[in-house]
Amino acid sequence: MNLVFALAAAVLFGTGAALLLDRDLVRVVFGVVLVSQAAVLTLIASGLARGSAPIYPLTVDSVSDPLSQAMALTAIVIGLAVTALLLALVLRVVQAYRSLELAELAGLEAERDARLERLHEREHAEEEAAAR
Amino acid sequence: MTALALSLVVPWCAGLVIALLDGRRRVVGWAAVAALAINLGALVALAAAVLPDDPVVVTTGDWPVGVGITLRADALGVLFALLSSLALLAATVVEVLDGVRERTFPGLVVLLAAGLTGVFLTGDLFNFYVFFELAMTAGYVLATYGGGRRELGAALVFTTVNLLGTFIFLLSVSGVYHVTGTLDMSGIAARMDDVDANAAVLIAVGFFVAFSVKLGLFPFHFWLPTVYTGARPAVAAILSGGLANIGAYGLLRFGGELLPDELDLAAGALIVIGGASIVYGGVLAVSRRSASEMLAYSAIGQVGYVLVAIGVGGPVGFAAAILYTVVNALNKTLLFLTAQMRGAVVGAAFAIGALSVAGVPPAAGFVGKLELFRATANDPALIALFVLGSALSFVYAFQTYQYDFWRGERRGKRSTIPQQGVVAALALLVLAAGVWPEPLLALSHDAAELLAGGGR
Repeated sequence: MNLVFALAAAVLFGTGAALLLDRDLVRVVFGVVLVSQAAVLTLIASGLARGSAPIYPLTVDSVSDPLSQAMALTAIVIGLAVTALLLALVLRVVQAYRSLELAELAGLEAERDARLERLHEREHAEEEAAAR
Repeated sequence: MTALALSLVVPWCAGLVIALLDGRRRVVGWAAVAALAINLGALVALAAAVLPDDPVVVTTGDWPVGVGITLRADALGVLFALLSSLALLAATVVEVLDGVRERTFPGLVVLLAAGLTGVFLTGDLFNFYVFFELAMTAGYVLATYGGGRRELGAALVFTTVNLLGTFIFLLSVSGVYHVTGTLDMSGIAARMDDVDANAAVLIAVGFFVAFSVKLGLFPFHFWLPTVYTGARPAVAAILSGGLANIGAYGLLRFGGELLPDELDLAAGALIVIGGASIVYGGVLAVSRRSASEMLAYSAIGQVGYVLVAIGVGGPVGFAAAILYTVVNALNKTLLFLTAQMRGAVVGAAFAIGALSVAGVPPAAGFVGKLELFRATANDPALIALFVLGSALSFVYAFQTYQYDFWRGERRGKRSTIPQQGVVAALALLVLAAGVWPEPLLALSHDAAELLAGGGR
Protein backbone atom coordinates (compact mmCIF):
# COMPACT_ATOMS: atom_id res chain seq x y z
CA MET A 1 0.00 0.00 0.00
CA ASN A 2 2.84 2.37 0.87
CA LEU A 3 4.41 1.69 -2.51
CA VAL A 4 1.14 2.56 -4.27
CA PHE A 5 0.92 5.85 -2.35
CA ALA A 6 4.56 6.66 -3.04
CA LEU A 7 4.23 5.92 -6.76
CA ALA A 8 1.00 7.91 -7.07
CA ALA A 9 2.47 10.91 -5.24
CA ALA A 10 5.64 10.72 -7.31
CA VAL A 11 3.71 10.60 -10.59
CA LEU A 12 1.51 13.52 -9.49
CA PHE A 13 4.50 15.59 -8.41
CA GLY A 14 6.47 14.78 -11.55
CA THR A 15 3.60 15.62 -13.87
CA GLY A 16 2.93 18.80 -11.93
CA ALA A 17 6.57 19.84 -12.09
CA ALA A 18 6.68 19.19 -15.84
CA LEU A 19 3.52 21.28 -16.35
CA LEU A 20 4.96 24.07 -14.21
CA LEU A 21 7.78 24.42 -16.71
CA ASP A 22 5.33 24.83 -19.58
CA ARG A 23 4.89 28.14 -21.38
CA ASP A 24 1.12 28.14 -21.30
CA LEU A 25 -0.11 29.88 -18.14
CA VAL A 26 -3.16 27.65 -17.66
CA ARG A 27 -0.90 24.60 -17.76
CA VAL A 28 1.26 26.23 -15.09
CA VAL A 29 -1.84 26.50 -12.88
CA PHE A 30 -2.63 22.83 -13.51
CA GLY A 31 0.95 22.05 -12.53
CA VAL A 32 0.48 23.81 -9.18
CA VAL A 33 -2.79 21.92 -8.64
CA LEU A 34 -1.13 18.56 -9.31
CA VAL A 35 1.78 19.35 -6.99
CA SER A 36 -0.71 20.32 -4.27
CA GLN A 37 -2.51 17.00 -4.80
CA ALA A 38 0.80 15.17 -4.42
CA ALA A 39 1.24 16.91 -1.05
CA VAL A 40 -2.32 16.00 0.02
CA LEU A 41 -1.82 12.37 -0.95
CA THR A 42 1.42 12.25 1.03
CA LEU A 43 -0.40 13.72 4.03
CA ILE A 44 -2.99 10.93 3.87
CA ALA A 45 -0.28 8.34 3.40
CA SER A 46 1.59 9.64 6.43
CA GLY A 47 -1.19 8.43 8.75
CA LEU A 48 0.09 6.18 11.50
CA ALA A 49 -2.74 3.65 11.41
CA ARG A 50 -5.05 2.27 8.73
CA GLY A 51 -8.47 0.75 9.31
CA SER A 52 -12.09 1.73 9.08
CA ALA A 53 -13.43 5.26 9.28
CA PRO A 54 -12.64 6.93 12.61
CA ILE A 55 -16.25 7.89 13.45
CA TYR A 56 -17.42 7.89 17.05
CA PRO A 57 -18.70 5.59 18.62
CA LEU A 58 -16.01 3.16 17.56
CA THR A 59 -17.35 -0.26 16.63
CA VAL A 60 -14.14 -1.92 15.45
CA ASP A 61 -10.68 -2.05 16.96
CA SER A 62 -8.57 -0.60 14.17
CA VAL A 63 -9.43 2.82 12.81
CA SER A 64 -7.51 5.10 10.47
CA ASP A 65 -5.43 7.91 11.92
CA PRO A 66 -7.89 10.85 12.03
CA LEU A 67 -5.19 13.50 12.39
CA SER A 68 -3.67 12.97 8.96
CA GLN A 69 -7.16 13.04 7.42
CA ALA A 70 -7.91 16.32 9.17
CA MET A 71 -4.65 17.74 7.84
CA ALA A 72 -5.41 16.51 4.33
CA LEU A 73 -8.85 18.18 4.46
CA THR A 74 -7.30 21.47 5.55
CA ALA A 75 -4.70 21.19 2.81
CA ILE A 76 -7.40 20.52 0.20
CA VAL A 77 -9.33 23.62 1.29
CA ILE A 78 -6.22 25.80 1.21
CA GLY A 79 -5.25 24.30 -2.15
CA LEU A 80 -8.67 25.14 -3.57
CA ALA A 81 -8.42 28.73 -2.38
CA VAL A 82 -4.96 29.33 -3.80
CA THR A 83 -5.95 27.70 -7.10
CA ALA A 84 -8.85 30.11 -7.39
CA LEU A 85 -6.50 32.98 -6.59
CA LEU A 86 -3.97 31.80 -9.15
CA LEU A 87 -6.64 31.48 -11.85
CA ALA A 88 -7.88 34.99 -11.08
CA LEU A 89 -4.31 36.24 -11.35
CA VAL A 90 -3.83 34.50 -14.71
CA LEU A 91 -7.06 36.08 -15.94
CA ARG A 92 -5.84 39.56 -14.99
CA VAL A 93 -2.45 38.91 -16.58
CA VAL A 94 -4.13 37.75 -19.79
CA GLN A 95 -6.31 40.87 -19.81
CA ALA A 96 -3.29 43.11 -19.23
CA TYR A 97 -0.85 41.48 -21.67
CA ARG A 98 -3.35 39.99 -24.14
CA SER A 99 -1.32 36.81 -24.16
CA LEU A 100 -1.30 33.41 -22.47
CA GLU A 101 2.30 32.67 -23.34
CA LEU A 102 5.01 33.16 -20.74
CA ALA A 103 7.58 33.71 -23.48
CA GLU A 104 5.69 36.72 -24.80
CA LEU A 105 5.42 38.17 -21.31
CA ALA A 106 9.14 37.75 -20.83
CA GLY A 107 9.74 39.29 -24.26
CA LEU A 108 7.75 42.39 -23.34
CA GLU A 109 9.69 42.71 -20.09
CA ALA A 110 13.00 42.31 -21.91
CA GLU A 111 12.00 45.03 -24.37
CA ARG A 112 11.26 47.40 -21.52
CA ASP A 113 14.60 46.62 -19.86
CA ALA A 114 16.47 47.20 -23.11
CA ARG A 115 14.72 50.55 -23.52
CA LEU A 116 15.76 51.60 -20.02
CA GLU A 117 19.31 50.45 -20.67
CA ARG A 118 19.52 52.53 -23.87
CA LEU A 119 18.17 55.56 -22.02
CA HIS A 120 20.82 55.20 -19.32
CA GLU A 121 23.54 54.77 -21.92
CA ARG A 122 22.47 57.92 -23.74
CA GLU A 123 22.38 59.86 -20.46
CA HIS A 124 25.82 58.59 -19.61
CA ALA A 125 27.22 59.57 -23.01
CA GLU A 126 25.73 63.05 -22.65
CA GLU A 127 27.30 63.42 -19.22
CA GLU A 128 30.66 62.35 -20.54
CA ALA A 129 30.38 64.86 -23.37
CA ALA A 130 29.36 67.61 -20.95
CA ALA A 131 32.27 66.78 -18.64
CA ARG A 132 34.73 67.06 -21.53
CA MET B 1 -1.72 34.80 27.86
CA THR B 2 -3.97 37.81 27.26
CA ALA B 3 -1.29 39.55 25.21
CA LEU B 4 -0.73 36.39 23.17
CA ALA B 5 -4.44 36.04 22.43
CA LEU B 6 -4.79 39.76 21.63
CA SER B 7 -1.84 39.81 19.25
CA LEU B 8 -3.51 37.08 17.17
CA VAL B 9 -7.21 37.82 17.52
CA VAL B 10 -7.13 41.59 16.95
CA PRO B 11 -5.45 41.57 13.50
CA TRP B 12 -7.47 38.52 12.49
CA CYS B 13 -10.89 40.00 13.28
CA ALA B 14 -9.94 43.52 12.23
CA GLY B 15 -8.52 42.14 8.98
CA LEU B 16 -11.76 40.35 8.16
CA VAL B 17 -13.84 43.48 8.77
CA ILE B 18 -11.45 45.88 7.02
CA ALA B 19 -11.18 43.57 4.01
CA LEU B 20 -14.90 44.09 3.40
CA LEU B 21 -14.66 47.90 3.51
CA ASP B 22 -13.38 50.23 0.82
CA GLY B 23 -9.72 50.64 1.71
CA ARG B 24 -9.31 53.75 -0.40
CA ARG B 25 -11.18 55.74 2.23
CA ARG B 26 -8.87 57.41 4.73
CA VAL B 27 -10.78 56.11 7.78
CA VAL B 28 -10.36 52.51 6.72
CA GLY B 29 -6.65 53.00 6.13
CA TRP B 30 -6.21 54.47 9.59
CA ALA B 31 -8.31 51.67 11.09
CA ALA B 32 -5.81 49.23 9.58
CA VAL B 33 -2.96 51.26 11.05
CA ALA B 34 -4.71 51.14 14.45
CA ALA B 35 -5.12 47.35 14.22
CA LEU B 36 -1.44 46.98 13.37
CA ALA B 37 -0.51 49.29 16.25
CA ILE B 38 -2.58 47.17 18.67
CA ASN B 39 -0.85 44.07 17.30
CA LEU B 40 2.54 45.70 17.88
CA GLY B 41 1.52 46.85 21.36
CA ALA B 42 0.31 43.37 22.34
CA LEU B 43 3.57 41.90 21.07
CA VAL B 44 5.58 44.40 23.13
CA ALA B 45 3.57 43.41 26.22
CA LEU B 46 4.11 39.75 25.36
CA ALA B 47 7.84 40.36 24.94
CA ALA B 48 7.94 42.05 28.33
CA ALA B 49 6.34 38.93 29.84
CA VAL B 50 8.41 36.37 27.91
CA LEU B 51 11.90 37.79 28.09
CA PRO B 52 12.60 37.78 31.83
CA ASP B 53 10.94 34.41 32.50
CA ASP B 54 10.13 31.30 30.57
CA PRO B 55 8.24 31.07 27.29
CA VAL B 56 4.47 31.46 27.43
CA VAL B 57 2.80 28.26 26.26
CA VAL B 58 -0.96 28.04 25.76
CA THR B 59 -2.90 24.95 24.71
CA THR B 60 -5.93 26.15 22.79
CA GLY B 61 -9.52 25.17 23.39
CA ASP B 62 -8.97 23.77 26.93
CA TRP B 63 -7.69 20.51 25.52
CA PRO B 64 -5.26 18.53 27.68
CA VAL B 65 -1.58 19.22 27.02
CA GLY B 66 -0.32 16.99 24.23
CA VAL B 67 -3.70 16.78 22.50
CA GLY B 68 -4.64 20.38 21.79
CA ILE B 69 -2.84 22.73 19.45
CA THR B 70 -0.25 24.78 21.27
CA LEU B 71 0.70 28.41 20.91
CA ARG B 72 4.18 29.14 22.17
CA ALA B 73 5.83 32.51 22.61
CA ASP B 74 9.55 32.36 23.27
CA ALA B 75 12.31 34.93 22.78
CA LEU B 76 13.02 33.92 19.15
CA GLY B 77 9.36 33.97 18.06
CA VAL B 78 8.52 37.21 19.86
CA LEU B 79 11.56 38.98 18.43
CA PHE B 80 10.63 38.05 14.86
CA ALA B 81 6.96 38.87 15.40
CA LEU B 82 7.86 42.31 16.79
CA LEU B 83 10.18 42.99 13.89
CA SER B 84 7.66 42.02 11.21
CA SER B 85 4.85 43.91 12.88
CA LEU B 86 7.00 47.04 13.01
CA ALA B 87 7.91 46.77 9.31
CA LEU B 88 4.24 46.32 8.34
CA LEU B 89 3.16 49.26 10.47
CA ALA B 90 5.76 51.63 9.00
CA ALA B 91 4.99 50.62 5.41
CA THR B 92 1.24 50.92 5.93
CA VAL B 93 1.51 54.39 7.49
CA VAL B 94 3.56 55.62 4.52
CA GLU B 95 1.10 54.14 2.03
CA VAL B 96 -1.98 55.50 3.83
CA LEU B 97 -0.40 58.96 3.96
CA ASP B 98 0.31 58.69 0.25
CA GLY B 99 -3.28 57.61 -0.47
CA VAL B 100 -4.23 53.95 -0.85
CA ARG B 101 -4.93 53.02 -4.47
CA GLU B 102 -6.87 49.75 -4.12
CA ARG B 103 -9.68 48.85 -1.83
CA THR B 104 -8.12 45.60 -0.61
CA PHE B 105 -4.75 46.94 0.53
CA PRO B 106 -5.41 47.79 4.23
CA GLY B 107 -7.33 44.58 4.92
CA LEU B 108 -4.67 42.44 3.32
CA VAL B 109 -1.86 44.01 5.34
CA VAL B 110 -3.75 43.39 8.58
CA LEU B 111 -4.42 39.76 7.59
CA LEU B 112 -0.76 39.43 6.69
CA ALA B 113 0.08 40.66 10.20
CA ALA B 114 -2.24 37.99 11.65
CA GLY B 115 -0.55 35.29 9.58
CA LEU B 116 2.96 36.43 10.45
CA THR B 117 2.21 36.70 14.18
CA GLY B 118 0.72 33.21 14.05
CA VAL B 119 3.72 31.74 12.23
CA PHE B 120 6.14 33.10 14.81
CA LEU B 121 4.04 32.22 17.86
CA THR B 122 2.76 28.74 17.04
CA GLY B 123 4.17 25.62 18.62
CA ASP B 124 2.45 23.26 16.22
CA LEU B 125 3.90 22.21 12.89
CA PHE B 126 0.68 22.01 10.90
CA ASN B 127 -0.55 25.28 12.36
CA PHE B 128 2.71 26.75 11.18
CA TYR B 129 1.74 25.69 7.67
CA VAL B 130 -1.74 27.18 7.97
CA PHE B 131 -0.50 30.55 9.26
CA PHE B 132 2.29 30.45 6.70
CA GLU B 133 -0.24 30.01 3.91
CA LEU B 134 -2.43 32.77 5.37
CA ALA B 135 0.50 35.19 5.35
CA MET B 136 1.68 34.10 1.91
CA THR B 137 -1.79 34.36 0.34
CA ALA B 138 -2.10 37.92 1.60
CA GLY B 139 1.39 38.49 0.19
CA TYR B 140 0.42 37.10 -3.24
CA VAL B 141 -2.47 39.52 -3.54
CA LEU B 142 -0.40 42.42 -2.18
CA ALA B 143 2.18 41.81 -4.89
CA THR B 144 -0.47 42.76 -7.49
CA TYR B 145 -1.05 46.08 -5.68
CA GLY B 146 -0.88 48.98 -8.10
CA GLY B 147 -2.49 46.89 -10.80
CA GLY B 148 -0.06 47.71 -13.59
CA ARG B 149 1.23 45.12 -16.06
CA ARG B 150 4.57 44.78 -14.33
CA GLU B 151 2.99 44.21 -10.93
CA LEU B 152 0.72 41.51 -12.35
CA GLY B 153 3.54 39.69 -14.11
CA ALA B 154 5.69 39.88 -10.96
CA ALA B 155 2.82 38.67 -8.77
CA LEU B 156 2.22 35.68 -11.03
CA VAL B 157 5.87 34.62 -10.79
CA PHE B 158 5.89 35.23 -7.03
CA THR B 159 2.72 33.20 -6.47
CA THR B 160 3.69 30.22 -8.61
CA VAL B 161 7.21 29.87 -7.23
CA ASN B 162 6.18 30.32 -3.62
CA LEU B 163 3.24 27.93 -3.94
CA LEU B 164 5.67 25.28 -5.12
CA GLY B 165 7.79 26.13 -2.05
CA THR B 166 4.86 25.79 0.35
CA PHE B 167 3.81 22.43 -1.09
CA ILE B 168 7.34 21.14 -0.68
CA PHE B 169 7.10 22.37 2.89
CA LEU B 170 3.84 20.46 3.30
CA LEU B 171 5.50 17.29 1.99
CA SER B 172 8.16 17.66 4.69
CA VAL B 173 5.48 18.26 7.33
CA SER B 174 3.78 14.99 6.45
CA GLY B 175 7.18 13.31 6.55
CA VAL B 176 7.82 14.64 10.04
CA TYR B 177 4.41 13.48 11.23
CA HIS B 178 4.97 10.02 9.83
CA VAL B 179 8.38 9.48 11.42
CA THR B 180 7.76 11.15 14.80
CA GLY B 181 3.99 10.72 15.26
CA THR B 182 3.55 14.23 16.62
CA LEU B 183 3.10 17.76 15.31
CA ASP B 184 4.12 19.55 18.48
CA MET B 185 7.47 21.25 17.86
CA SER B 186 9.01 20.48 21.25
CA GLY B 187 7.84 16.86 20.91
CA ILE B 188 9.39 16.62 17.44
CA ALA B 189 12.69 18.01 18.72
CA ALA B 190 12.76 15.32 21.42
CA ARG B 191 11.87 12.45 19.09
CA MET B 192 13.98 13.40 16.10
CA ASP B 193 17.08 11.67 17.52
CA ASP B 194 15.55 8.20 17.08
CA VAL B 195 14.58 8.79 13.48
CA ASP B 196 16.28 7.03 10.60
CA ALA B 197 19.00 9.33 9.25
CA ASN B 198 17.94 9.01 5.59
CA ALA B 199 14.38 10.08 6.32
CA ALA B 200 15.56 12.97 8.49
CA VAL B 201 17.89 14.28 5.78
CA LEU B 202 15.11 14.15 3.16
CA ILE B 203 12.78 16.06 5.46
CA ALA B 204 15.50 18.61 6.22
CA VAL B 205 16.17 19.18 2.51
CA GLY B 206 12.45 19.82 1.94
CA PHE B 207 12.33 22.43 4.69
CA PHE B 208 15.55 24.00 3.47
CA VAL B 209 14.26 24.38 -0.10
CA ALA B 210 10.94 25.80 1.11
CA PHE B 211 12.53 28.48 3.30
CA SER B 212 15.29 29.32 0.85
CA VAL B 213 12.68 30.10 -1.79
CA LYS B 214 11.02 32.41 0.73
CA LEU B 215 14.30 34.12 1.59
CA GLY B 216 15.46 34.39 -2.01
CA LEU B 217 18.82 32.69 -1.51
CA PHE B 218 21.11 32.36 -4.50
CA PRO B 219 19.92 29.32 -6.44
CA PHE B 220 16.30 30.03 -5.46
CA HIS B 221 16.40 33.78 -6.03
CA PHE B 222 15.09 33.96 -9.61
CA TRP B 223 11.66 35.31 -8.67
CA LEU B 224 12.92 38.01 -6.33
CA PRO B 225 14.26 40.87 -8.50
CA THR B 226 11.14 40.88 -10.71
CA VAL B 227 8.84 41.08 -7.72
CA TYR B 228 10.73 43.62 -5.62
CA THR B 229 11.26 46.00 -8.53
CA GLY B 230 7.78 45.41 -9.96
CA ALA B 231 5.86 46.05 -6.75
CA ARG B 232 5.23 49.46 -5.20
CA PRO B 233 7.82 50.57 -2.59
CA ALA B 234 5.47 50.05 0.36
CA VAL B 235 4.67 46.51 -0.82
CA ALA B 236 8.35 45.75 -1.44
CA ALA B 237 9.07 46.97 2.11
CA ILE B 238 6.31 44.72 3.47
CA LEU B 239 7.53 41.71 1.49
CA SER B 240 11.22 42.10 2.31
CA GLY B 241 10.92 43.54 5.83
CA GLY B 242 8.02 41.38 7.00
CA LEU B 243 7.28 38.34 4.89
CA ALA B 244 10.90 37.35 4.15
CA ASN B 245 11.51 37.00 7.90
CA ILE B 246 9.59 33.71 7.71
CA GLY B 247 12.49 32.24 5.75
CA ALA B 248 15.16 33.17 8.29
CA TYR B 249 12.90 32.17 11.18
CA GLY B 250 12.11 28.83 9.56
CA LEU B 251 15.76 28.03 8.92
CA LEU B 252 16.62 28.88 12.54
CA ARG B 253 13.65 27.12 14.10
CA PHE B 254 13.62 24.00 11.92
CA GLY B 255 17.39 23.78 11.47
CA GLY B 256 18.50 24.85 14.93
CA GLU B 257 15.78 23.36 17.09
CA LEU B 258 14.12 20.49 15.23
CA LEU B 259 16.89 19.11 13.03
CA PRO B 260 20.23 20.11 14.61
CA ASP B 261 22.12 17.02 13.41
CA GLU B 262 21.06 17.54 9.81
CA LEU B 263 22.03 21.22 10.08
CA ASP B 264 25.49 20.14 11.25
CA LEU B 265 25.73 17.77 8.30
CA ALA B 266 24.82 20.50 5.85
CA ALA B 267 26.95 23.26 7.43
CA GLY B 268 29.50 23.29 4.61
CA ALA B 269 26.81 23.46 1.91
CA LEU B 270 25.00 26.28 3.72
CA ILE B 271 28.19 28.34 3.92
CA VAL B 272 28.90 27.80 0.20
CA ILE B 273 25.33 28.77 -0.81
CA GLY B 274 25.42 31.78 1.52
CA GLY B 275 28.76 32.89 0.08
CA ALA B 276 27.43 32.53 -3.47
CA SER B 277 24.41 34.66 -2.48
CA ILE B 278 26.63 37.38 -1.02
CA VAL B 279 28.86 37.64 -4.10
CA TYR B 280 26.05 37.27 -6.66
CA GLY B 281 23.77 39.81 -4.96
CA GLY B 282 26.59 42.27 -4.41
CA VAL B 283 27.99 42.16 -7.94
CA LEU B 284 24.58 42.49 -9.59
CA ALA B 285 23.51 45.27 -7.23
CA VAL B 286 26.59 47.30 -8.21
CA SER B 287 25.55 47.10 -11.86
CA ARG B 288 22.04 48.49 -11.23
CA ARG B 289 21.11 52.09 -11.67
CA SER B 290 17.65 52.41 -10.09
CA ALA B 291 17.24 52.27 -6.32
CA SER B 292 14.62 49.51 -6.23
CA GLU B 293 16.61 47.23 -8.54
CA MET B 294 19.74 47.79 -6.47
CA LEU B 295 17.78 46.97 -3.31
CA ALA B 296 16.31 43.80 -4.80
CA TYR B 297 19.76 42.37 -5.58
CA SER B 298 21.08 43.68 -2.28
CA ALA B 299 18.34 41.66 -0.55
CA ILE B 300 19.72 38.48 -2.15
CA GLY B 301 23.23 39.34 -0.96
CA GLN B 302 22.22 40.28 2.57
CA VAL B 303 20.38 37.03 3.35
CA GLY B 304 23.59 35.24 2.34
CA TYR B 305 25.19 36.54 5.55
CA VAL B 306 22.34 35.06 7.58
CA LEU B 307 22.79 31.68 5.93
CA VAL B 308 26.56 31.68 6.49
CA ALA B 309 26.01 32.50 10.18
CA ILE B 310 23.47 29.64 10.49
CA GLY B 311 25.98 27.33 8.79
CA VAL B 312 28.68 28.32 11.30
CA GLY B 313 26.15 27.45 13.99
CA GLY B 314 26.64 27.25 17.74
CA PRO B 315 25.35 29.92 20.13
CA VAL B 316 27.52 32.66 18.58
CA GLY B 317 26.58 31.77 15.00
CA PHE B 318 22.83 31.61 15.72
CA ALA B 319 22.96 34.86 17.68
CA ALA B 320 24.75 36.53 14.75
CA ALA B 321 22.15 35.13 12.32
CA ILE B 322 19.25 36.42 14.42
CA LEU B 323 20.83 39.84 14.92
CA TYR B 324 21.67 40.17 11.25
CA THR B 325 18.14 39.23 10.23
CA VAL B 326 16.75 41.94 12.51
CA VAL B 327 19.18 44.57 11.21
CA ASN B 328 18.62 43.53 7.59
CA ALA B 329 14.83 43.67 7.90
CA LEU B 330 15.05 47.17 9.39
CA ASN B 331 17.44 48.30 6.63
CA LYS B 332 15.29 46.92 3.87
CA THR B 333 12.08 48.41 5.26
CA LEU B 334 13.75 51.81 5.52
CA LEU B 335 15.46 51.71 2.12
CA PHE B 336 12.52 50.33 0.13
CA LEU B 337 10.25 52.99 1.64
CA THR B 338 12.66 55.75 0.61
CA ALA B 339 13.04 54.27 -2.89
CA GLN B 340 10.48 56.57 -4.51
CA MET B 341 10.38 59.47 -2.06
CA ARG B 342 12.03 62.85 -2.36
CA GLY B 343 13.17 65.40 0.20
CA ALA B 344 16.06 66.40 2.45
CA VAL B 345 15.07 64.07 5.29
CA VAL B 346 14.63 61.22 2.82
CA GLY B 347 18.21 61.72 1.62
CA ALA B 348 19.53 61.61 5.19
CA ALA B 349 17.44 58.53 5.98
CA PHE B 350 18.69 56.80 2.84
CA ALA B 351 22.28 57.63 3.81
CA ILE B 352 21.78 56.05 7.25
CA GLY B 353 20.24 52.97 5.64
CA ALA B 354 23.12 52.79 3.18
CA LEU B 355 25.65 53.03 6.02
CA SER B 356 23.78 50.25 7.80
CA VAL B 357 23.80 47.98 4.74
CA ALA B 358 27.51 48.55 4.30
CA GLY B 359 28.13 47.96 8.01
CA VAL B 360 29.64 51.34 8.87
CA PRO B 361 29.23 52.70 12.44
CA PRO B 362 27.20 54.26 13.98
CA ALA B 363 24.37 52.49 12.08
CA ALA B 364 22.94 49.14 13.26
CA GLY B 365 24.53 47.25 10.39
CA PHE B 366 27.90 47.69 12.06
CA VAL B 367 26.77 45.68 15.09
CA GLY B 368 25.39 42.98 12.80
CA LYS B 369 28.65 42.72 10.87
CA LEU B 370 30.65 42.76 14.13
CA GLU B 371 28.69 39.77 15.41
CA LEU B 372 29.25 37.98 12.10
CA PHE B 373 33.00 38.57 12.36
CA ARG B 374 32.91 37.32 15.95
CA ALA B 375 31.11 34.14 14.86
CA THR B 376 33.65 33.40 12.14
CA ALA B 377 36.75 34.77 13.89
CA ASN B 378 38.95 31.74 13.22
CA ASP B 379 38.18 31.31 9.54
CA PRO B 380 40.16 33.67 7.27
CA ALA B 381 38.25 32.62 4.13
CA LEU B 382 34.91 33.64 5.62
CA ILE B 383 36.31 36.93 6.90
CA ALA B 384 37.66 37.68 3.43
CA LEU B 385 34.20 36.89 2.02
CA PHE B 386 32.51 39.27 4.47
CA VAL B 387 35.00 42.04 3.71
CA LEU B 388 34.39 41.59 -0.02
CA GLY B 389 30.62 41.58 0.53
CA SER B 390 30.75 44.70 2.69
CA ALA B 391 32.93 46.51 0.15
CA LEU B 392 30.42 45.66 -2.59
CA SER B 393 27.51 46.85 -0.43
CA PHE B 394 29.32 50.10 0.27
CA VAL B 395 29.81 50.69 -3.44
CA TYR B 396 26.26 49.87 -4.53
CA ALA B 397 24.53 51.70 -1.70
CA PHE B 398 26.47 54.93 -2.09
CA GLN B 399 26.50 54.77 -5.87
CA THR B 400 22.71 54.93 -5.75
CA TYR B 401 22.88 57.67 -3.13
CA GLN B 402 25.15 59.68 -5.39
CA TYR B 403 22.90 59.32 -8.44
CA ASP B 404 19.61 59.87 -6.65
CA PHE B 405 20.39 62.52 -4.07
CA TRP B 406 23.65 64.33 -4.83
CA ARG B 407 22.89 64.76 -8.48
CA GLY B 408 19.18 64.94 -7.81
CA GLU B 409 18.18 62.57 -10.58
CA ARG B 410 15.18 61.36 -8.67
CA ARG B 411 11.96 62.62 -10.23
CA GLY B 412 8.49 62.97 -8.82
CA LYS B 413 6.81 65.20 -6.30
CA ARG B 414 8.37 66.01 -2.95
CA SER B 415 7.14 63.74 -0.16
CA THR B 416 4.97 65.26 2.55
CA ILE B 417 6.34 66.03 6.03
CA PRO B 418 4.51 63.13 7.81
CA GLN B 419 5.82 60.64 5.21
CA GLN B 420 9.33 61.92 5.68
CA GLY B 421 8.72 61.69 9.44
CA VAL B 422 8.03 57.94 9.19
CA VAL B 423 11.28 57.19 7.35
CA ALA B 424 13.11 59.55 9.72
CA ALA B 425 11.76 57.57 12.69
CA LEU B 426 12.90 54.30 11.08
CA ALA B 427 16.32 55.81 10.36
CA LEU B 428 16.61 56.96 13.97
CA LEU B 429 15.71 53.45 15.09
CA VAL B 430 18.51 52.03 12.91
CA LEU B 431 20.89 54.60 14.39
CA ALA B 432 19.73 53.93 17.96
CA ALA B 433 20.23 50.18 17.51
CA GLY B 434 23.76 50.92 16.35
CA VAL B 435 24.64 53.41 19.09
CA TRP B 436 23.08 51.43 21.93
CA PRO B 437 23.13 47.80 20.77
CA GLU B 438 22.97 46.09 24.17
CA PRO B 439 19.20 45.34 24.24
CA LEU B 440 19.26 43.88 20.73
CA LEU B 441 22.43 41.88 21.45
CA ALA B 442 21.00 40.49 24.68
CA LEU B 443 17.75 39.60 22.92
CA SER B 444 19.43 37.75 20.09
CA HIS B 445 21.70 35.87 22.49
CA ASP B 446 18.66 34.87 24.58
CA ALA B 447 16.90 33.70 21.43
CA ALA B 448 19.96 31.73 20.29
CA GLU B 449 20.21 30.02 23.67
CA LEU B 450 16.75 28.55 23.07
CA LEU B 451 17.79 26.63 19.99
CA ALA B 452 19.01 23.12 20.69
CA GLY B 453 22.21 23.66 18.74
CA GLY B 454 22.88 26.66 20.97
CA GLY B 455 24.21 24.34 23.65
CA ARG B 456 26.93 22.90 21.47
